[in-house]
Amino acid sequence: MKVILVDDEQKFIIMLAKRLAFRGIQADAVFSGEDAIQKIQHLDYDVAVLDIKMPGISGLELKKKLSSLAPELKFIFVTGHGAKNILENDLVIKNIFLSKPLNIDTLIKIINEITKK
Amino acid sequence: MNDAINFMNMEGLKFFGRVNASISHELKNILAIISETAGFSNDLTDLAKKGKVLDLSLIESCNDSIAEEIQRGFTTIKQMNRFAHSVDVPIKDIDLLETLDLTIKLSSFLSFASHVRITNPGKEIKSVLTCPFLMQNLIYQILCFTYESVGPGGEVHLQIDSEENGGIHLVFSSSVELVLEGFPNQNIQKTADILGVEFNINTSSIELDIWIPYVSDKINLLSEEL
Repeated sequence: MKVILVDDEQKFIIMLAKRLAFRGIQADAVFSGEDAIQKIQHLDYDVAVLDIKMPGISGLELKKKLSSLAPELKFIFVTGHGAKNILENDLVIKNIFLSKPLNIDTLIKIINEITKK
Repeated sequence: MNDAINFMNMEGLKFFGRVNASISHELKNILAIISETAGFSNDLTDLAKKGKVLDLSLIESCNDSIAEEIQRGFTTIKQMNRFAHSVDVPIKDIDLLETLDLTIKLSSFLSFASHVRITNPGKEIKSVLTCPFLMQNLIYQILCFTYESVGPGGEVHLQIDSEENGGIHLVFSSSVELVLEGFPNQNIQKTADILGVEFNINTSSIELDIWIPYVSDKINLLSEEL
């Protein structure tokens, strides 16, 4: 299982990557949408965990770009905003949103569920 | 004048909501880092209980990180408190440098914020008689405009020039071109009109010059109404 974590809060994403590694999930942390796009072009991932609001490209826009590069990639969104703020368009209807601070067991449960074949 | 007061109320509420949303987002990020770091520390101690050698430097690093984030949280709450108290007095003499400092800090919580560098720091300026909350709102909106223009990771330059009589110039520029199309929008213009603030857009050198009067007839009128 390989996960890419995308968030401009570097300390948060680095710690999360370490904790997932302790639990047997290989996770790469990148700090911007642009870096994520670069990474996806060279490496395969099963799941992308994306922050909704980042400088530059937003999480939802990033999903569109990553999906075109890796159609099988599954997505989980993480937000520090209230849920109402992100109910803007149809894109949010079929997406999974988790609120910060994360419960790592919940995250892993969802990763396992969405990657079940 | 009633129109002006109604506009101030509506815009004030929007501004208050927007700033508080960005502060809550910042605090959530801080708590998320503390949560993950504490979780990692717990993971290490769990491994130690199972017989793995505990690397104390990792625990120390976690503790330092948590302490840093707690300080960051206190700093954020300090700005929140300053902001909350900016409505205490509707019209008063303000130190514009303090208002600028607070507004720059509040706007830094936005995901698209750029760095702001005051090019001539240490300048002493006269006080400005104004509505502090509305002035913060105006400067905040102007900062947002410049951030969107320079893009993430960019730097906004701010020069502060005070006249002997008259007012203060806040001159915004950047090493990249400031895109000033659409500035000022209707809300910014209306807010500026209420405060007696004027704009001078220097298209050849791509600078945005905001002139803030020390005293304005419009503020004196507003003071009588409030």
